[in-house]
Amino acid sequence: MASHYEAPIRKPLILGDKGYHDVSVDIAAPVEGRASTQWWIVFSIALAAFLWGVGAIIYTISTGIGVWGLNKTVNWAWDITNFVWWVGIGHAGTLISAVLLLFRQKWRMAINRSAEAMTIFSVIQAALFPVIHMGRPWLAYWVVPIPNQFGSLWVNFNSPLLWDVFAISTYLSVSMVFWWTGLIPDFAMIRDRAFKPFQKKIYSLVSFGWTGRAKDWQRFEEVSLVLAGLATPLVLSVHTIVSMDFATSVIPGWHTTIFPPYFVAGAIFSGFAMVQTLLIIMRKVSHLEDYITVQHIELMNIVIMITGSIVGCAYITELFIAWYSGVEYEQYAFLNRATGPYWWAYLFMMSCNVVSPQIMWFKKIRTSIVISFIISVVVNVGMWFERFVIIVTSLHRDYLPSSWTMFSPTFVDIGIFIGTIGFFFVLFLLYSRTFPVIAQAEVKSILKSSGARYKALRDAGKPLYTINKNGIVRETIVNNNQETAFSSESNQEESLLSALGSFDSGTQDPDDLKKVKGIGPLMEKTLNKLGIFSFLQVSKMTQKEYDLLDSLTSAFPGRAQRDDWAGQARMFLNNDK
Amino acid sequence: MASKKYWKSEAELNPNDSIVETLRQNEFPEEIPVDEFLGDKENLSASTTNRRDFLKYVGFSTAAASLAACEGPVRKSIPYVIKPEQIIPGIANYYATTIANGYDFASILIKTREGRPIKVENNKDAKTNGTGNARIQASVLSLYDSTRLQGPLAYGEPAEWAELDTSVKNKLEGLKDSEQQIVLLTQTYASPSTTKLISEFKEVYGNVNHITYDAISEDAALSAFEAKYGERALPTYDFEKAETIISFGAEFLADWQGGGHDSGYSKGRVPKNGKMSRHIQFESNMSLTGANADKRIALKPSEQKKALASLFGKLNNSSVNVDLSDNISKAVEDVASEIRKAGNKAVVVTGLDDVNAQAVTLSINEMLASLAFNPSAPRFIRQGNSQAVNKLVQDMNSGKVGALIMDGVNPMYTLPNASDFSEGVAKVDLTVTFSTNWNETTEITEFTAASSHFLESWGDAELVKGHYSLMQPTIKELFDTRQFQQSLLQWMDSDLNYYDYIKNTWNSGILGDVSWNKALHDGVFVLESNTEGESSTTNDSSVDQTMDQEPEVETTIEPISSAISSLANSSAEGMELVLYPKIGMGDGQQANNPWLQEFPDPITRVSWGNYVTVSKADASALGLINENVANGGLNGSYAKLMVNGASLENVPVIIQPGQAVGTMGLSFGYGRQVGMKTEMQTGVNAYALYQGFNCIQNVTLEKASGMHEFACIQLHNTLMGRGDIIKETTLEIFNTKDHSEWNHVPQVSLNHQEVPATTVDLWASFDRSIGHHFNMSIDLNACTGCGACVIACHAENNVPVVGKEEVRKSRDMHWLRIDRYYSSEDTFDQDNTKKDEFAGAAETKTGFEEMEIAAVNPQVAFQPVMCQHCNHAPCETVCPVAATTHSRQGQNHMAYNRCVGTRYCANNCPYKVRRFNWFLTNNNDEFDYHFNNDLGKMVINPDVTVRSRGVIEKCSLCIQMTQKTILDAKREGREIADGEFQTACSNACSNGAIVFGDSNDEESQVTELRQNDRMYHLLEHVGTRPNVFYQVKVRNTNEA
Repeated sequence: MASHYEAPIRKPLILGDKGYHDVSVDIAAPVEGRASTQWWIVFSIALAAFLWGVGAIIYTISTGIGVWGLNKTVNWAWDITNFVWWVGIGHAGTLISAVLLLFRQKWRMAINRSAEAMTIFSVIQAALFPVIHMGRPWLAYWVVPIPNQFGSLWVNFNSPLLWDVFAISTYLSVSMVFWWTGLIPDFAMIRDRAFKPFQKKIYSLVSFGWTGRAKDWQRFEEVSLVLAGLATPLVLSVHTIVSMDFATSVIPGWHTTIFPPYFVAGAIFSGFAMVQTLLIIMRKVSHLEDYITVQHIELMNIVIMITGSIVGCAYITELFIAWYSGVEYEQYAFLNRATGPYWWAYLFMMSCNVVSPQIMWFKKIRTSIVISFIISVVVNVGMWFERFVIIVTSLHRDYLPSSWTMFSPTFVDIGIFIGTIGFFFVLFLLYSRTFPVIAQAEVKSILKSSGARYKALRDAGKPLYTINKNGIVRETIVNNNQETAFSSESNQEESLLSALGSFDSGTQDPDDLKKVKGIGPLMEKTLNKLGIFSFLQVSKMTQKEYDLLDSLTSAFPGRAQRDDWAGQARMFLNNDK
Repeated sequence: MASKKYWKSEAELNPNDSIVETLRQNEFPEEIPVDEFLGDKENLSASTTNRRDFLKYVGFSTAAASLAACEGPVRKSIPYVIKPEQIIPGIANYYATTIANGYDFASILIKTREGRPIKVENNKDAKTNGTGNARIQASVLSLYDSTRLQGPLAYGEPAEWAELDTSVKNKLEGLKDSEQQIVLLTQTYASPSTTKLISEFKEVYGNVNHITYDAISEDAALSAFEAKYGERALPTYDFEKAETIISFGAEFLADWQGGGHDSGYSKGRVPKNGKMSRHIQFESNMSLTGANADKRIALKPSEQKKALASLFGKLNNSSVNVDLSDNISKAVEDVASEIRKAGNKAVVVTGLDDVNAQAVTLSINEMLASLAFNPSAPRFIRQGNSQAVNKLVQDMNSGKVGALIMDGVNPMYTLPNASDFSEGVAKVDLTVTFSTNWNETTEITEFTAASSHFLESWGDAELVKGHYSLMQPTIKELFDTRQFQQSLLQWMDSDLNYYDYIKNTWNSGILGDVSWNKALHDGVFVLESNTEGESSTTNDSSVDQTMDQEPEVETTIEPISSAISSLANSSAEGMELVLYPKIGMGDGQQANNPWLQEFPDPITRVSWGNYVTVSKADASALGLINENVANGGLNGSYAKLMVNGASLENVPVIIQPGQAVGTMGLSFGYGRQVGMKTEMQTGVNAYALYQGFNCIQNVTLEKASGMHEFACIQLHNTLMGRGDIIKETTLEIFNTKDHSEWNHVPQVSLNHQEVPATTVDLWASFDRSIGHHFNMSIDLNACTGCGACVIACHAENNVPVVGKEEVRKSRDMHWLRIDRYYSSEDTFDQDNTKKDEFAGAAETKTGFEEMEIAAVNPQVAFQPVMCQHCNHAPCETVCPVAATTHSRQGQNHMAYNRCVGTRYCANNCPYKVRRFNWFLTNNNDEFDYHFNNDLGKMVINPDVTVRSRGVIEKCSLCIQMTQKTILDAKREGREIADGEFQTACSNACSNGAIVFGDSNDEESQVTELRQNDRMYHLLEHVGTRPNVFYQVKVRNTNEA
């Protein structure tokens, strides 16, 4: 994927003064660095929620489904609501990686890895529910058409639940393969950077012997394209089939032919919202603002707005058709949905899914990170309620009024749902610490065409490559806008360098600052950026410089002082002599 | 086989081959190297297996062997040493017997399997009382009640019969010639043998006083009848013969005057030749009977009395001064004209606990010469004498009673003045209670004689004059128990046993030349003299009398006038409370029966407890509320009821549509505590308010704090204008218009043409013409909603009881339920019209909200719903593992073993008849009912699987019964006759509402019903093509 020409009017997809090495360093940083306290806190919460969910599941399986709030009329509620919700969330991944790949949307490259990871993790959550909602989950394998010793017993191919089994398992496996295929060159990059033997071993294994030869790349491209072609219909098929669980039934409110397209739109809607939620957090925590830019957020917001509008149209169409059909049961089902005892759920659904995304028409709002984050959460709440509304309000008052009743969840219902959220985040947090969270190989492919640095070079009419005679590329060319923006910072920088002395790459060799305890690869890079390359410079640091450094880097305030970098640097200097 | 020889090798062809010979001689063809192993002492001692290892191996193998010996519990089945002639494992035996427990009287059949009674069936040979209601159906479970007494007790401690007999006999001997009475306080037996036995007992011991006590007294009716006809009994009514039925508070479809009137009533309710009976009910509580009426007038008991008096006046053309509101007077006038029109085809009945009212209805029926009224064949199934009971309490307290022997009664629970009774008991020297269970009365008496269940006893009964019925044991006594009559014989030093005694009585007095064995086999026996055109002749003569001999009528009316005036002047201050027996619980003697506790009341659909019913107007005045909480469960306020000094705390309140304003209803039978499992201790004891043995009391109600959590099976009460669920029409339209108008088949558009939905089919149908095709017809006119079928289904199909908490969560397991709907407008028809006329979304919304609330005096409809066995079953297509499939015979099968429990089928069932086992309901630790103990498990029908948790279950159309019928016919090499195919519900339904059969049999009744104009399928438009169908309900709204 050679970098082709991109119109200057297009906004850069990779911000900052990024070269190829920078991309590697930035993306490998969360994997190579140590976990922050926030990560541990969030991980502990997620793990606790997960374990709580495991407890609730064990209780359910050992005692019976009766520990849930279900009854003879409402036989599905939170279980299948959660199932459909998680499957829906799992839709954005394939859409982004496959459909947008086929449509050559370059902006997908920054988000597809995490979107796919999210897909897989949410499909795992989803797949849990059809199993645990069974009365006898230990017989769950009976829904798979495997030869058995029970005589001629076979599955019922008429049942949409069986189609679900096929749809979900196909989707999960194709997504897994697709995801992993994309990961191979990135794992290889981490493998190549890894210096601890264990990590090197692991990343060698998972990168399947990637060498980076031209033949490797060619096959990689081919496989990606083929898998994208395979996965694209799956984006449509999975939720279509999930919707058929309802659409093929005879229950008013379920028996609706609009369901397949409506469910797919809803799935993409909720999937993008979840991607949005996760990436807004991740770009901050993993310092990926240069890769996942406001432009990405805006584009995702537009997708959310469009799919939200489709979903809104579907809601209104359903109401219209119910009225137009003249079928009293159908009419009552929808009237009851909107105005019956569960009116509040319907209101949640309508306001979260239809109304809230509409504010994205305003550019100011759709480029606001805070509002985007809030809306993305609201959308997923709304989509959960959509499934709840469809399932519970249709069932609780169906044909015979004598069977009408209500549903309310028990702590086990709630516990399992929270448990899956915990499980999801456990997986995602582990992923964010061990996997390259951005498809760096792909990002590198557009660096020349869409990277801010190269765009600036191109605009300035300068060559894209300058090879320093000493082999060290000084990174001097900075976007003009950024320079002014950081003018106050550059003042501080100068004052810092004046105190520590400058480093001349022409005459001096840079020291490995990572030897200093407390300076990781990330910090080293930051220091390098500031012009600090040698132990000599570090050794000159005093309280004033520490403070200056803190205000410049704004990471780990007080750390340099605590670890006594200057002292350590002096020691290294002495050792060298 | 033995001659077959297998060649091992060619060498065997030669018999003299040496190799063959050696092989034959030596077990091991090669030398076993024993020496090599054991001979080498040096190596052996150098072996690494040392003593310690040896001990380890020993230890391990011992442990392994003992672990392997730890198997699951072994259930022993012991073969017969001498097999009883009648018992063939796997084949059911039926015995005719009789239930006569003082409250329920019926001739029934008992199905036994391997010697265990497991089910009650109706005795179709019986001409009267041959049908079992819900309680009788459930009575078999009481036999296996784990709380039953297992032997006699003395002062609460286990004792021996011999010990008890000696003490009792000594005491009785001592009392023989004393001043003090020996009192036998018993239930109503209606038993000729027992009557004879007690009179002989009197002869032996002299000063014996036999007092009959009915917990729920029919004293008024008995006294009125006695005064008029000279016999303490009840008249017989045959509602089949009545065209106009007027009832003043008579619950004649339930337990009014001993019950058993519903099948006759139902027969008259099915329109035949354009005719059906018309039923007008004046009542205060919404009763099952009122719910079935064509016209129901909600009225206070005091006003009912006035209305009755006024009606008498109108029929008699005498002026009776009553102050009734205009519309009531008008209603009474209408009723009078309807009665006049119907003439002797009218009947008037009353359930008012008032001798005058009872006397007046007797007079009216006499006056009308009502064909449905037959005083000459009276019923003996209620004989209680409340005056005598009152006197007994006085006598005991004044020390006039020396011995009190009780059987079949529980006065400490059922007497309003139980404390007086217990004081009295303390002054009696000898007290003996015969009881199957430890209860309130056994608690205070010296001796508790563990009595046998009726299924372990001998007995007889004369239910109606000349109609005899025999009771025979269907199992040997499970415990060391003895029935009352046998004990009397013992105490009389008779060497007869009760069986011989009955046999003698029958042979000498009753049977004539009919053999005892035949009578015992049939279970019933009717005296010839009684059957001979009795109904026609006696009635005709009475017609003649009343028509021709005017003066005589006058004379009968003479004493009536005072009754009339007292009725006309009846008044009541404040609220009136009407106490009534519930369909499921009766007088409460079976309160420990889980089937009955979980049986939903046909009207309120509430199980597990009783409650006070109040009208909506009174409820809002008193601040009482009913509300459904978040999970749908029904909650109601608590109230305190006070009657004349006695009070009941924490009575749950149900706001009952149709309850007359100013009245309340409260049912008997609940609130028992002593000897009961904790789960069964439900409700409040209404007997505390049953003062003077009168069901009608003046009451004050105070709201109490807190809310009661009901276990109500049906939370939505109205039909929401869905007229196609219960189709109904009026007799006039039924008679005059084409069925397409009143039994409209939904239309669908096919190729732009409106065609009946039934003609459009997505699927190619199977050939169903071969073999049997089972169909079931449910006649909404014949069904009274009594619920006998519900219990029969429970018993036949091992349907689990799930307990109050689960029922409250809408998790009842009933395979067959009887939906009850109230109209929201005055009639269902008006509901439909109202719904059709909604215009605009806002009006629709508010309109439907209004329709959720039942009318003040609504129309009521009942609809039994079980699995509809759809030929295009929505459940079958959605099951991923094909656990539910269709049979050639039309049944929708449920393969429990295959079910993984996705519950998709239950969701997709438009009828919501599928039930899921949320927990393991047998051997569970949450709730202790009969599936939890070995005794209770004896009631399990071995032909039906007990389901495990996590599987769906539902009605199977009793496939075990239909298969049995098919196999029997096959073995006997004959065709199956119509009527042979039955299900538990169709068998139990004495009203003919449920008809089951083979629709491939052109001659069968069910085929005929299928082609009936009234036939419709539930939710026809869904296209499920059920094998169960309903008959349109016809209401007789023809005003005279």
